[in-house]
Amino acid sequence: MGLLVKGSLAGSALLGLGMLGRYISFQSEQSPPSQYDLGLATDYPVGSRTQNPQSQSIIIHVSQGYRAISLICPHLGCTVSVTNDGFACPCHGSRFLPDGSLRNGPASRPLTALRIEVNADGHLILYMN
Amino acid sequence: MYRHFFIASFILFMASGLVFWQQNRSPKPVGITPTITGQVEYCLTCHADLPEISQSHPVETFGCVLCHGGEPLALTADLAHSTLRGGANPSDLSVVEASCGGEMCHSGTPQVNRDHIQRVTTSLQATYAGAVAQVRYAFSAEPDLTARMGIYAIDGLAAFDPTAESSPALQAFGSNCLSCHLSAQPLEAEEYNRWSGCSACHSPAPREDGTLVHKLTTSMPYTQCNACHNRGNYSLSDMQFHPREDAPTDRLHDFYQPIAEFTRCEWTLDCEDCHTRQEAMGDGHIYSSKKDIQYVRCRTCHGTLDSLPLTYTITDENDLALRLDFLNPVVDLKLGDTILMTDKGEPLWNIRVIPGEEGTVPTYELFSKATGERFTFKPVMGSTCQQKPDQQEARYCHECHATQR
Repeated sequence: MGLLVKGSLAGSALLGLGMLGRYISFQSEQSPPSQYDLGLATDYPVGSRTQNPQSQSIIIHVSQGYRAISLICPHLGCTVSVTNDGFACPCHGSRFLPDGSLRNGPASRPLTALRIEVNADGHLILYMN
Repeated sequence: MYRHFFIASFILFMASGLVFWQQNRSPKPVGITPTITGQVEYCLTCHADLPEISQSHPVETFGCVLCHGGEPLALTADLAHSTLRGGANPSDLSVVEASCGGEMCHSGTPQVNRDHIQRVTTSLQATYAGAVAQVRYAFSAEPDLTARMGIYAIDGLAAFDPTAESSPALQAFGSNCLSCHLSAQPLEAEEYNRWSGCSACHSPAPREDGTLVHKLTTSMPYTQCNACHNRGNYSLSDMQFHPREDAPTDRLHDFYQPIAEFTRCEWTLDCEDCHTRQEAMGDGHIYSSKKDIQYVRCRTCHGTLDSLPLTYTITDENDLALRLDFLNPVVDLKLGDTILMTDKGEPLWNIRVIPGEEGTVPTYELFSKATGERFTFKPVMGSTCQQKPDQQEARYCHECHATQR
């Protein structure tokens, strides 16, 4: 009888710990990072236009340096597609020129330019805010 | 004593096991953080199998709660659905402003063509003001046919209250004849099946087996309209709705109830190929009769013996025609295309002059908004049509061009 009592109590404790562990280990939605390490800057040769899905942006290396443009449409936040002549939003038809400037609405602003720098290690760092 | 301990501990063990089992059965929360709201919501924990409602409303951008309401963090159905707007239909007119409204969405300004809700809520299809005016006038409750009442009070219209009417006929009208405005629940039969509000037109009706179709579209076949239209007739003599009694088996006979003969385009095309956004959704003004808002005529597309139909060439990237074609790309319109236009300047964006065939008497191509099927036609000008300039109503065209049913 004593063994049965201890066994029941031990079982209950284990189950309780299991539920507590599940509760504690729950991963809520994490905030998106404020910056991304895009790797070596040399991986982005002059003239390249490289999409980065994690940051939803495109990295452009022009002769004057690096530029980053957000691929989030400034109209309502859909992700624009890269086209032969710039960018197009699949949601409501806004279109942008290759430099991110607005070609036609319903968006009323260009694509957001993001800050991008080469750090001391030669890595491209993209800042989201 | 030990026995009591055992029973208590055993009950505790079983209870713990039951709770642990139930927790394991619960679905793992699936969260998304829509771009517009930035707030996590767990609707996809249970509804991940729902198809995207439309290309213009992707769930990654809009989420679910923005339109539907509900409790975004709840993981049980009862709690999650406890604050839904409009039940399964957030576009019901009672909640449409909260669900579909907003300056950037569907209750913005006319200048940017975002005033959908303002137009629809004052339209005849929503207010039923024309029917109310005509019936009240017929039974001497009003001095003329001017609309003074609607299904609900809006913009100068009072709310029609059948219980406040002294005429039994008007009371019967209120009981029997108000099943086809946008706020009304449809009659119970498959042929009348539809949603209310915006979804009455823009969403497929629930299926026969009761399953719902999660879809918003601007591509609407005539059958969508025929949930209300061409279903039968309201009789003033007995104030009842009399359903059509025929049993059509083809499109020609199904499109309209057997009250008249119609030209080929009237039953080959779909309603939205001719009837414009203003005609269907209103223009923001209160009207007393559909004759005051319906203005598309045969000559809108076909012209007259003396004049070609109105057209304009698209030169602005922000032209409404391009936007409408984007939402329902049956034409692939581009800058430089010449399309038809109504008397009020509404673009008939699915009808354009065939490039290279402009000439003195051009040829036009029409693309069905419901199917994308292409039709070509010539205008009246240059033909042997016998029409008279002052006889431009459809009935005159029907005299020669109606298809015998």
